[in-house]
Amino acid sequence: MGEMTPKKRALLCLTGNKKKADRVSCFDVLTTATVDQMMAVNAPFPEANRDPELCFRLAAAAWEIIGLEGFKLPFDLCIEAEALGCKLNWGRIDRQPSVETHVFNDLKDLKIPENIIEKGRFPLKHSVEERLRRVYGDYLPIANQVTGPFTVAGHIFGIEKFLIWTKKRPLEEIKEALMLIADMNVADCKEALRRGADVICIADPSATSDILSPQFFRDVMVPVYQSMAKRLGAPIVLHICGNATSYLPYVADTGFDAFSVDTQVNIAFAKQVLGDRMAVVGGVPTVSALLFGTPQVVKKAAVDAIAMGVDALMPSCGIPPRTPTENFKAMVEAARCMVYV
Amino acid sequence: MATKEEIINGLKTAIVNGDEEAAAKWAKEAIAAGLDAYELVTKYGGEAMAIVNQKYEKKEYFVPEVLCAANALNVAVDILTPYMKVDKTTVPATVVLGVVEGDIHDIGKNLVKIMLSAAGFNVIDLGKDVPLQKFLEKAKEVKADVVGMSALMSTTMPGMKKVISMFQEAGVRNKVKVIVGGGPVTEEWALSIGADARPHDASAAVGVVKQLVEKLRSERGESW
Repeated sequence: MGEMTPKKRALLCLTGNKKKADRVSCFDVLTTATVDQMMAVNAPFPEANRDPELCFRLAAAAWEIIGLEGFKLPFDLCIEAEALGCKLNWGRIDRQPSVETHVFNDLKDLKIPENIIEKGRFPLKHSVEERLRRVYGDYLPIANQVTGPFTVAGHIFGIEKFLIWTKKRPLEEIKEALMLIADMNVADCKEALRRGADVICIADPSATSDILSPQFFRDVMVPVYQSMAKRLGAPIVLHICGNATSYLPYVADTGFDAFSVDTQVNIAFAKQVLGDRMAVVGGVPTVSALLFGTPQVVKKAAVDAIAMGVDALMPSCGIPPRTPTENFKAMVEAARCMVYV
Repeated sequence: MATKEEIINGLKTAIVNGDEEAAAKWAKEAIAAGLDAYELVTKYGGEAMAIVNQKYEKKEYFVPEVLCAANALNVAVDILTPYMKVDKTTVPATVVLGVVEGDIHDIGKNLVKIMLSAAGFNVIDLGKDVPLQKFLEKAKEVKADVVGMSALMSTTMPGMKKVISMFQEAGVRNKVKVIVGGGPVTEEWALSIGADARPHDASAAVGVVKQLVEKLRSERGESW
């Protein structure tokens, strides 16, 4: 079996095989960048989202400064929309970029160029993943994050317009548009895996159950996600914000390996529903523990999550940039001195 | 020609079903039949949205259905407005709403606006990514009863606290009630920054705002 490395541990934990590892893994497939790290390695937002050298330094800081057992790129959810022509607000040191303009007026206008992954910041992301692999060898996992199809649809069409179409247009047309975006996600992931990434995270915050019905998730999102899962040979983590409890009966049908849940989802309950069909990851509340809590609060949340059976310890959602380093570190420390349940 | 009852039920059903074409048809029928446009919008439009609100609360409806219903209501309102004789005897409470600076996630705020407008409140929408001092300026200008702030990102939440401080420093905190909302905003945190309430969703906001306005009007000596 050889020595247990963070990468081996992560791949085991994310695929529901934590009992073959020594303990739960602890990295962050959602976002790793905080202001403390930006200052420590002199790679601040917004430049670190655009400059390859700064981007590399900030990605590496996840391990170098915090001790997270893996890397993750990119730091924002706008690469897809930007490559398709949306204008961005680049944010500032403590604010991720956001999408400012939509580019398509109608479902039928959606066209994704053949060479999309050569556009915008896709090449930057892949080159930094390649460099991380070269510099850190096979010791740590690298997660390539993509913005999921529903969220990208909201970016490029406008979310309220797209939501109304889900009621007014034939579901087949909606699904078709989402499938086109999924194709782009798959092309991005394949290139990332070729260049050194070994974990895929699909973050689809707009597909939240605070907005959509579980029926829509089952009938539209699950088939779209299935088509992605079938084409990607790497552990895949799906993150959906908010209270996704009502999605639990369907989420394992996606074929993804792990479900990253927000604070509103009870981890023990999710483990019960999903059984051995899908790993459950997350467990440390971003706002009450990581941002506003203390290291003690973070450790308590971490231990509780492990006790409830979490497969990999992670923040419950994207890390707030103002999270203090001592709190972020406390999450990793908790994982290191615990085993699994 | 349809009866008054048929028109009212037709319009309400069209709104609840989010059917813009039917809403337009019934609004035009109402005008042809000489019905009271003001009553149709405020009373029956409000009743229809209350049904939508209940369905949303029971999770029979989700955000897409609410947006469609609001669109259908708006279609009817646009047709009926030129025929409305406005009742000026009751002054509705004024609510200033906005998503705080740095945050562009406005679906939640828009839902609150839809529900409050349908319930008869005068809603002033500042939009998204609203500079913090704008909340105070607007509240003064329109003599607001309630100020509502929304944030979906933990990074922008602290802006709410600053706005409340601005009201305190200006000595006008007692002139308004403050509600806050958005995914990461917990009730505990809302109360800790001095907000008056954190309705758990858009449908709950209507009841909460009604109560707050009553409370405000009973305890507030002078308005703005």
